[in-house]
Amino acid sequence: MKKPKVAFFDFACCEGCQLQVANLGEDLLDILDTIDVVEFREVMTEKWDQGYDVAVIEGSITNEHAIEKIKRIRERSKILIAYGSCATIGGVNGMKNDFELNEIEAHVYQENAKHFKTVPTMAVSQVVKVDYFVNGCPIYPPEFITVLKCALAGLPYHVPDNVVCVECKINENICMYDKGVTCLGPVTKAGCNSWCINNGNVCYGCRGMVSNPNENSAKDVLSKYNISLDLIKNKMNMYNKCRELNKNEKDKS
Amino acid sequence: MKNAILKKEKLDDFIKIMSKDEKVIAPVLKGNQSYTFTEVKSADEISLKYLPTILPPKKYFMPQHETLIEYDKRNGQKVHCVVEVEDLVIFGVHTCDLAGIQCLNMIFADRPKDMNYLIRKNRITLIGLECNSYCDEFASCALMGNHIPKGGYDLLFTDLGNYFFVEINTRKGEELIEKTNLFENADSNHQEELNKLRKLKESIFKPEVDIDKNEIPSLFKKKFESKIWEDIGERCLSCGNCTNVCPTCYCFDVLDIPDLNLKTGKRVRVWDSCQNEPFAKISGGESFREKRGDRKRHRFNRKFRYPVERYGKFFCTGCGRCSRTCMAKIDLKETIRDLIKEGN
Repeated sequence: MKKPKVAFFDFACCEGCQLQVANLGEDLLDILDTIDVVEFREVMTEKWDQGYDVAVIEGSITNEHAIEKIKRIRERSKILIAYGSCATIGGVNGMKNDFELNEIEAHVYQENAKHFKTVPTMAVSQVVKVDYFVNGCPIYPPEFITVLKCALAGLPYHVPDNVVCVECKINENICMYDKGVTCLGPVTKAGCNSWCINNGNVCYGCRGMVSNPNENSAKDVLSKYNISLDLIKNKMNMYNKCRELNKNEKDKS
Repeated sequence: MKNAILKKEKLDDFIKIMSKDEKVIAPVLKGNQSYTFTEVKSADEISLKYLPTILPPKKYFMPQHETLIEYDKRNGQKVHCVVEVEDLVIFGVHTCDLAGIQCLNMIFADRPKDMNYLIRKNRITLIGLECNSYCDEFASCALMGNHIPKGGYDLLFTDLGNYFFVEINTRKGEELIEKTNLFENADSNHQEELNKLRKLKESIFKPEVDIDKNEIPSLFKKKFESKIWEDIGERCLSCGNCTNVCPTCYCFDVLDIPDLNLKTGKRVRVWDSCQNEPFAKISGGESFREKRGDRKRHRFNRKFRYPVERYGKFFCTGCGRCSRTCMAKIDLKETIRDLIKEGN
């Protein structure tokens, strides 16, 4: 059987997720036995001018040029995987959407701003159809492998719509709230095996909120720890700003 | 079987001798007043006075993640059943958690029998540890009648000052005592001291909620449409903490995990929870328990009503873990009190 042709691309991002893939170690060798990587700027110079069986996309969409490019990649790809917070939910780049675009352009590019037109930050799925999602900042490598296997086998992968606490408790961690520390676990999508908390850190919500978070109750819980509402809002917005674009869409329709 | 005593200074030898032959598991302080059942090699690692552990000992009977089958499609459809099992001694299990294991035993022995569970259970030796007083204010063990031992162990230790009174409940427990050769026969003085403690406990442990236990199932039936469930639903985060830490919650999901070659792989069982949003979702996106309040109500009924109707047994052990762990401070005893208070 011919190995599927897989290409990796990046948009607005830190390329940290590609680094996670390049760092897979022994698993990477197994993956390379299964797939044929035809483009991957981080690790190789070759390019491919035909169709892709699988395109793996990192980064969020932030300007017209990126919109055109992601559309072309979508047309050439049988399967499209978005990976990393930027690609799956817009991620930290979404913070741009809190500002006026011309102010942002002027602030960053100063007198050259007119050459760098920008659009509100969007997740890849807000521009083209995405078949698989690997959330996280950066991606959790075992989940990336699971999704890749599903994509190759033609099986669906459902990003868990449970909160991180579910996995955290199964891992028998001491609750961060018992340590007197705030943690976004109670509203954030699981699937990372509570990676950060297992290693002593809190959850920053990088995988995005569950589809139906109990935000009011989470705010109640957080406010019991004397945290200002603004800080709570900022914490929740750090990765999740782009979901407002969907809300606006809903309001319009 | 005669009862025995173990002098406290010999506990360390007891643990060390056992740990030569098999894994010994006991409650250990993890930090921030949180304890876990963990492998130990000596008695000084063990917390004899401990709050119920983050996860109950059910994690050894039905692991969080367990392989059931290994498959190979390279040449036909070969499957090969797997039981992940090892010999374990679990020391220091409180009577509430012993009651929890008795519930699980009943569920997994019900048809269709769960062989993985039953095989594993037979390889586990259980040594109970009686509570002389309350662990904290979240417990409701007296309401559920689990503050006193009701079987389900091979040996039961009761702390009586400078020695443990040891009730020998099974042949397996007796063999352990013979093998370690550290125990003495209990005499009538020892028995008298145990009776005294039990008498004292009667004055310490009182039903924590003012209701006849037998009335609880009908209370839940009557209060099925109560607004209290809605209020609880508004506070609930659906984090599933209450089910994961519950000694009698046993719901699971089964998944196939292919290897990278996509030809071989395994079928695994993982813990699931009725509190999770997708749990009662079916094809077409329909959910039987869409609202948090519905899910919460379901869980309470699965503890205080449905199993009483089906098995004649309450599936709440009174360990208090669900209330202790709830970030939104949804409290089990308070909920029952509210249901009573609401009247008709």
